[in-house]
Amino acid sequence: MNNKSLLLSRRTFLRGTGLALALPWFETFAKGGRGLTETPRRFLSVYHPDGVGLPLRSDPAWRDWSWFPRGGGKDFEFTKVLDVLEPLRNDVTIYSGLSHPAARQVHGHSNADQYLTGAPIGGEGPYRNTISLDQVYAEQAGNLTRHSSLVMSTNGGVGGPRGAQTQSFNREGRPIPAMNKPKEIFDLLFVAGSKDAAARLARSKSALDLLMDSTRSLGRQLSRRDQETLKQYLDAVRDTELKLTKAQGWIDAPFPKVDARNLHLDAEPKEARLYFQTMYELIYLAFLSDSTRVATFQLGRENGEGPHDLLSMAVGLGAAHGLTHEVKKPGGWENLGTYNRYQAEEFGRFAQRLKDTPEPTGMGNMLDNTLAMHGSASSSFHLSRNYPIISAGGRNLGFANGRYLKFGKGNEDNQAGAGIDSDAGWQGKVEVEELPLAKLFVTILQRLGVETDSFGGSTGALTV
Amino acid sequence: MKSATITAVLGLVSACVLVAADGQSEAITLEAAKEQGRANSRFLRDTKPVANTTPAIPKANVAEFRKSVWPVLNRSCVNCHGPKKTEGRLRIDQLDPDLLTGPDTERWREVVDALSNSEMPPQDEPDYAIADADRGRMVDWLNGELHAASLARRDSREHSSFRRLTKYEYDYALQDLLGLPYALANKLPPETATEDGFKNSSELLQMSALQFETYREIALKALGRATVSGERPQAVNYILSIPEEMEKVEGKKAAEPSDQGKQKARKPRNQQQLFNRETGESVPFTAGKLVPRTGAVAGQTPPVSPVVLVLPRSSELKLDLDRFLPDEGTMRVRIRVGRSTMNPDEYASLRLIFSAHTSNDANFSQVISEHPIPVTAPGDDPQFIHFDIQLGDIQRNPFRKLTTAFPRRDEFLHVHNISNAAGGEEPLQVLIDHLEISSPFYEQWPPRTHTDIFIESANRADEQTYGREVLNRFLKRAWRRPVTAQDINRFMALFARYRPEFPTFEEAMVEVLATALATPEFLYLTPVAPAGETKSPARIGDLELASRLAVFLWCSLPDDELQELAERGKLRDPEVLAGQVQRMLAHPRSGRFSRNFVEQWLGLDGLNSVTHVKDASLREAMQEEPIALFDEALRNNRSIMDFIHSEHAMVNERLAQHYGIPRVYGPHFRKVPITPQMHRGGILTGAAILAMNSDGKDSHPLKRGVWMLKRILHDPPPPPPPNVPEVDLTNPEILKMTLKERITDHRNKAACISCHAKIDPWGIAFENYDAMGVFRTSIKDRPVDATSELSNHQMLAGMDGLKRYLLTDRQDQFARAMVHKLTAYALGRPLSLGDRAEVDSLTAQLRRRDDGLGDLVRLIIGSTLFNSR
Repeated sequence: MNNKSLLLSRRTFLRGTGLALALPWFETFAKGGRGLTETPRRFLSVYHPDGVGLPLRSDPAWRDWSWFPRGGGKDFEFTKVLDVLEPLRNDVTIYSGLSHPAARQVHGHSNADQYLTGAPIGGEGPYRNTISLDQVYAEQAGNLTRHSSLVMSTNGGVGGPRGAQTQSFNREGRPIPAMNKPKEIFDLLFVAGSKDAAARLARSKSALDLLMDSTRSLGRQLSRRDQETLKQYLDAVRDTELKLTKAQGWIDAPFPKVDARNLHLDAEPKEARLYFQTMYELIYLAFLSDSTRVATFQLGRENGEGPHDLLSMAVGLGAAHGLTHEVKKPGGWENLGTYNRYQAEEFGRFAQRLKDTPEPTGMGNMLDNTLAMHGSASSSFHLSRNYPIISAGGRNLGFANGRYLKFGKGNEDNQAGAGIDSDAGWQGKVEVEELPLAKLFVTILQRLGVETDSFGGSTGALTV
Repeated sequence: MKSATITAVLGLVSACVLVAADGQSEAITLEAAKEQGRANSRFLRDTKPVANTTPAIPKANVAEFRKSVWPVLNRSCVNCHGPKKTEGRLRIDQLDPDLLTGPDTERWREVVDALSNSEMPPQDEPDYAIADADRGRMVDWLNGELHAASLARRDSREHSSFRRLTKYEYDYALQDLLGLPYALANKLPPETATEDGFKNSSELLQMSALQFETYREIALKALGRATVSGERPQAVNYILSIPEEMEKVEGKKAAEPSDQGKQKARKPRNQQQLFNRETGESVPFTAGKLVPRTGAVAGQTPPVSPVVLVLPRSSELKLDLDRFLPDEGTMRVRIRVGRSTMNPDEYASLRLIFSAHTSNDANFSQVISEHPIPVTAPGDDPQFIHFDIQLGDIQRNPFRKLTTAFPRRDEFLHVHNISNAAGGEEPLQVLIDHLEISSPFYEQWPPRTHTDIFIESANRADEQTYGREVLNRFLKRAWRRPVTAQDINRFMALFARYRPEFPTFEEAMVEVLATALATPEFLYLTPVAPAGETKSPARIGDLELASRLAVFLWCSLPDDELQELAERGKLRDPEVLAGQVQRMLAHPRSGRFSRNFVEQWLGLDGLNSVTHVKDASLREAMQEEPIALFDEALRNNRSIMDFIHSEHAMVNERLAQHYGIPRVYGPHFRKVPITPQMHRGGILTGAAILAMNSDGKDSHPLKRGVWMLKRILHDPPPPPPPNVPEVDLTNPEILKMTLKERITDHRNKAACISCHAKIDPWGIAFENYDAMGVFRTSIKDRPVDATSELSNHQMLAGMDGLKRYLLTDRQDQFARAMVHKLTAYALGRPLSLGDRAEVDSLTAQLRRRDDGLGDLVRLIIGSTLFNSR
């Protein structure tokens, strides 16, 4: 009985969005788009704070409400937490035994900052972060699209050091502000910007003209060898000019036309279901229109409080952060599991939507060319180890799905740190072996077409 | 006659070496070695006047080669470097003896080095030994021909000095130009260093679109900070008055008569507290919450109060500033402060820390004051000190503008006492009676940085005329040259385009000025020769000389005085030039020269890539020591031989403690006498050098040897070949060995011996110093063996032996290396064969002036090299 009602058809997914969008839009994009010749490779990372439920095997809740599936490899069985992904079983992979080594003994509240960077940010004192996974890819794919990446979170902005409200960090390790208002995101993607940007561009162009001019007259006074050096400067100015011309091109290019009537662009986080689905829908539209190929989305913030911590109201529960503290109360594991299940359900709905959309270039469906990740940097209560990670899609990039992959040694049953609810847990000694999550990042980058064999100081890919 | 002198000198050297090496007789002192080594200098033997004018270009003297050089080479070298064997891939019989036009000049340079350093022929091959007289003749001939080859090539120098400013030069130039005394260019990518370690070398200073865009962004932001618009903004002022704090406590106490709160001074003296120096009353006090005082004026001087805040060593006053600090602008923190005791061996200083608690179990804090400020005034006559902090540049609490109360929105300022105060009856404490925080803080309105750009003028109302005046002054300063009407026209045209888009003249002009700071005239050092210059090599003009001087000695632009002298054509007057150099070296900006040159010369960056020096104050002190040593030598024109050994050390308290030098107190560096038992003196024994050339656990003789050859002797070893066999640490036999034994084992492998024989012995002489640079006599309970044998069979008995050998036998090499490095840095380009003759000539002049470092700087500035394109 259980299983039946949980099986979600494509129809359910579509109805769930509350949107009547279908083929006509897609055709607009396909025709109005700039005639893609190469199939885009896309990347999305969704982050949720507070980790997941990890009861002890002896706990009666273990069988149903432990986040990780039972079994392993191709032969695994979702618990009630992830069973909503059953229809997508052959399009998803579950990972365990991965974490960032530098964070393993840092309190989980600092974790959101380093999930995509792996930087040793520690728990206090001076703070320094490094570039995030998505931005490494955006450096390569970003100049093919109007926006190099779409950075979103429920809370918006950058948050604070060790209290990030964005998943994305640039080359210098500085946080990239996240957008959290559907209306603003929609306008950015589909509505022409203000005149300011155009004016700024025009100013830059006339400055560059002046520089080229006056530099040429300086060049005449130099020796031939020194003119070579000066040429490098002129090339730099010229390259900048090309960039501006391209930016101007985007300003002039018509935006994809999207009918916003059915989008709930004023949805707020406290209307959790509507908000979630609208945000996912915007990512879907951004990908479909090839406005960007890179997106990150952070749900809530670590150590949440206030309205943004109320996403769990979608399933009738109290504040999300509190759920992790109350696992030992009656029904505690089930409550946390139910909230995690809801997160997986929305993620699955998004994946299904990509799967149901044929790739505009004809190369399979959109999910086949997209790697969508969903995860957290804590498993058990504040414990910065054994990150619970799901990936969906990427068949054409080389991801074979339908598996539960266990990495590391000594924790195949996910019992290390299970059932903890005090700070002695996260401070405890690391007794089992886990692999650096950065190895998975290297694999992802390679499959997205980035030539690299290291990320965040960790070298080598993961065999997946 | 001449060769007889050489023989005598060489004989003397060998005698000294034998005495030192067999260890039977007393080794001479290092000071005596300095004297003795000086007598050996080939540069001092030469009595020829140094040619300052270009001599007629000589021809290769091949006849002399045939007559006196080839017979010796044929007898002593060809067996190993000829048709039978080609050791070191050298076929000496096939080298073209015409060094002026032949292709083998570089190979001959290696030959002369090997011969003059007595590295060849090997001393264990007595059959091939070369008599001293023959050696002297060959070395003389080769040096003569190299000199001639160098002169022949100097017009076709391979490298130009035309280059962009480095990241640090650009930063200083912008700071000095705009009057903003803090780092502005952190966004630029770091520079790459040459093999020699220099980051200012024309061959590596590239330009890219990203770099270019960053310049524009930085310039616009910096100009935005230098200029203002509109009315003076209302400052947020916080005041912490200690007497008022005491009154509050007393008021509370009156309200609730209990024994809590105030006490008599009976409790532990060394506690942070409010204290009435007259009555002895005290109350514990560690933190306060401040709210901005409306209507308060900062910068006031209330009467000195007997009620003070007592801040003992290592404690801090934590002030909750809530969320009212502005986003941008200068925050001035002004503190009236004195010392509780005046014991000269104790010091105290204050630094500022900024923090926020953005989440429970997650917070951040950072030191925001650049340097701690010493507290020197007596407690009964406290004085104000102040810090200026750029609020836009520090990590702020990003939640300060939230309308909800979570996460926490407040920000904290900590005043931290760094002190060496000991315990005891009267420990040194810091006494504060008044503290103000004001932001945005302006000394005056509009600020000087603004009026320096938007100058006073009668034509202010006429935007066209005034715009030209503003541009004329700004461009002239930024570009280090007079500007033409055409230059100004170009920028006025740009201004005309921008003007309609901005509400004020100033805002549009700032955009135009930012463009001026992205021109090659600002970003590059342009060695444009003045029209009509016919000399060869072409001399640079006065304006370029001024720029070159400023970049060399200040890492920045000329100031108005230097610029004006150059414009008036006075700079080449020897007296004027000498006066300017004197003035520039006396200016605080010259500290940038010492810092940047020494960091690059010695590769002090390396200390940042080791992790075993955990104590930050020790690491800073280590890194500072060689800079302080150089700076002291520069200011007092001391001999560069003091870098090899000196009977003084430059230390501060932390470093002195590390070295076991007693009675040095305080964080500043000063010169102190040392004894031989301390095993310090000069650059080689500096902890920074020793620690960065370690593997993090133990010494690393190979790294130290390579460092010594590259940085000190300018004789870099070739890079390691591919397929070097790794030292097999899984082999238990190897694990048992000491490091030195391991190296010997590795060196004896055929593939490794030729290079390692040249490197390792230098490094093994450092073995008495561990990975922290601490002197030791045993390693793992075995006595340290720091004796080694150079490839020329010279024995080195540890650090003393190494220094003694350098001082008796290698002074010329070191002097020449120093001239080479400093000249390459001054010119901002690599040196090549075409520069060799002048480097030799500079070395000879330096040696004749007793090796003074200040003299060396002046010699370089006066040299043809420094004055040519």
